[in-house]
Amino acid sequence: MAGKLLLKGGKGPTSLGVAGGNDFQWCFSQVKGAIDEDVADADIISTVEFNYSGELLATGDKGGRVVIFQHEQESKNRPHLRGEYNVYSTFQSHEPEFDYLKSLEIEEKINKIRWLPQQNAAHFLLSTNDKTIKLWKISERDKRAEGYNLKDEDGRLRDPFRITSLRVPVLMPMDLMVEASPRRIFANAHTYHINSISVNSDHETYLSADDLRINLWHLEITDRSFNIVDIKPANMEELTEVITAAECHPHQCNVFVYSSSKGTIRLCDMRSAALCDRHSKFFEEPEDPSSRSFFSEIISSISDVKFSHSGRYMMTRDYLSVKVWDLNMENRPVETYQVHEYLRSKLCSLYENDCIFDKFECCWNGSDSAIMTGSYNNFFRMFDRNTRRDITLEASRESSKPRATLKPRKVSTGGKRKKDEISVDSLDFNKKILHTAWHPKDNVIAVAATNNLYIFQDKIN
Amino acid sequence: MIMKGQKRKHPPEDVEVSDRSSPTWESQRQFVFSVSLNKYQHGQELPEPSLRRSVLIANTLRQVSLEAFGAPSVDMEVSQPLSSSSSALQESIFTAAKHHPAVMFSNSHSALVSCPLVSINDVSNCARSPANCNLSASNVPLSVKDEDEDWGSMSTDSDFSLSAAISSILTALDSTIDSSPQTAPRTPLKSLENLSGSSDGGVEWVKQGVRGYGGSWEQQEEWRVRESSFEVMRSSYLSELTVEDLFQDIDTSLLERDMGVLGLRGSGGGYPTGEDLLRYLPPFSSSPPHPFSLSLNQNMKCLPSLSSFSPLSSSPLSLSSPPFSSQNHVREGLELDHLMEILVES
Repeated sequence: MAGKLLLKGGKGPTSLGVAGGNDFQWCFSQVKGAIDEDVADADIISTVEFNYSGELLATGDKGGRVVIFQHEQESKNRPHLRGEYNVYSTFQSHEPEFDYLKSLEIEEKINKIRWLPQQNAAHFLLSTNDKTIKLWKISERDKRAEGYNLKDEDGRLRDPFRITSLRVPVLMPMDLMVEASPRRIFANAHTYHINSISVNSDHETYLSADDLRINLWHLEITDRSFNIVDIKPANMEELTEVITAAECHPHQCNVFVYSSSKGTIRLCDMRSAALCDRHSKFFEEPEDPSSRSFFSEIISSISDVKFSHSGRYMMTRDYLSVKVWDLNMENRPVETYQVHEYLRSKLCSLYENDCIFDKFECCWNGSDSAIMTGSYNNFFRMFDRNTRRDITLEASRESSKPRATLKPRKVSTGGKRKKDEISVDSLDFNKKILHTAWHPKDNVIAVAATNNLYIFQDKIN
Repeated sequence: MIMKGQKRKHPPEDVEVSDRSSPTWESQRQFVFSVSLNKYQHGQELPEPSLRRSVLIANTLRQVSLEAFGAPSVDMEVSQPLSSSSSALQESIFTAAKHHPAVMFSNSHSALVSCPLVSINDVSNCARSPANCNLSASNVPLSVKDEDEDWGSMSTDSDFSLSAAISSILTALDSTIDSSPQTAPRTPLKSLENLSGSSDGGVEWVKQGVRGYGGSWEQQEEWRVRESSFEVMRSSYLSELTVEDLFQDIDTSLLERDMGVLGLRGSGGGYPTGEDLLRYLPPFSSSPPHPFSLSLNQNMKCLPSLSSFSPLSSSPLSLSSPPFSSQNHVREGLELDHLMEILVES
């Protein structure tokens, strides 16, 4: 895509050209969540997801709650400001449960939220914890029927014999009430922990994946599901690989992919067999022997896989990098982006403190021209696939002034640390950005930093 | 770089060493090994370890121990997994191996030969091997030594006697892996799911139990119960006790005092000792009216102390906590008992 025309602004150091060649500058918009240093475990955000239009933004937390934000319309008086996201609905999706047979507690933490495409006035989303998936309907109520002749003004039922005339109730406006109600509960289909759910493009089915199995459900049927992938070995002691993520193809309802802890991705076609244990395509990059270490396998474990909106590419996130794969080429990715290569020499320590097991997610922008993923110290990274430029930004309260432009951050790897750079050993590994989401159409991003949700947007000049 | 409140131990060279001949490679390998072992043990102690994490740690352990011998691919059949899953035993082995490497040397190679592919349960094997590699690198060049290598030729310090005894236990267990179960003092620990006879029996039992209520359970529920009945005793998916193990060398007084949730498998058939156990337990004859309490019934069969427990009146929470802790008690008690027996004999 050569010869892009710069329409507005100058090419500043913070700009990242996306979506049509205009330069944008990321600036702070909002932050949601408590400010205190002591973070309650239950408030830690565990998933973030925009709906198909971008109007709604859902977050799930470790306490099993779902909070939905809605984009307010831009105010006519101040058109240069984009609308803000305000709380639309909050509900308790999952409660802690107890598995009596195994004597184990089932965590209520929301692992994933996926929206269904909107078909009527109500919104539907799927939320899941380790064992149970629930379909929630979020609907608005802004009218109330009044004037029933069955009850008195004070609500007592009237004696039927005393009712002599027919009165049709009238709909009166009332304060907007947003109700969330569970419409389906899909339970008891997973022995292991559910790590992914994905709505199929047919809008009738969806898949759920745990460590060893993938099931296909129909949204209307809760008492059974089809098992389509099962990698559990006959002898559990031979288990060396688990499923880490799965996703349906955005357009082909028969295609899905799943990634493994060994850094491989399998693409399966449901038309070929009922049980998709045999893959149609197998994606794996051969290991570079010069960079082999004791941790090679752990850092190759894929933590997230996402199809591009076009359906032609898919992106995988492993511990140190993000890779873009062309679905037509199985032997290596077409693009590889290093997220935090400076951690490669620290793998021993990261293994010791368990950070090496962190599962980072990744996401595409609406036009598939840029990708984003999180890192440590509340840093997150964005890569422009066309210009090959990348930027590191920080989600912090310090840079949270309204409409303040975010300053790019840099980690110094060599001996000399420049001003404004941060050294690798000063990074805070407790502040990790695992969950990020990009608006499907606009340049608005949501970044979850522990218990806070940051919303950044581009500056319209 | 360390999380708050965490003590830093054995700071390794942080620079990644991919060159095997480099001196830091060995120290790093040992560090990785010890950390992996700790993590693995800690993970097993958790009520429900993350499967992905466990698999990754186990794979790393395997890789580290294989690299110690520089033979990544050995074309031999996978032998039965070693027994000894108690952390106490592993700790003692590892400590012994670390401090008295010479003693372990003679057994290491033979042990490795008999169990070449380090499966998850071969951790105790791993515990010994790296120390040997360390020794070999620094002292005498590595040479194959017989299993019959004279113990007397080793140091006769009293310090070595404990580690010698421990390694002899393991060697004895190694050699009896393939022999019939009667000759071994304890059968190797296997996970519940892999015992062919029992699994069928277990399934049958569950099916009977469930179907007895007019198949009111849905398809998935039955499947789940079948699966979870195998995993009910687990604290992890990897290191298990069989009913047989527990019953073989303990007296019934121990059993009656505290028992884990074992009766579920005991009635599955193929394990006469399990049925013996059930005979000791007070019979539970009431027939509950709905499917859920059936599972409670079966649970309660193996909890003699709760024999007066009524399934419908009390909360299930109180039911579930005793089995788990008492199972661990029994397991550790048995392992230590057995260890002491052998030490006394030798």
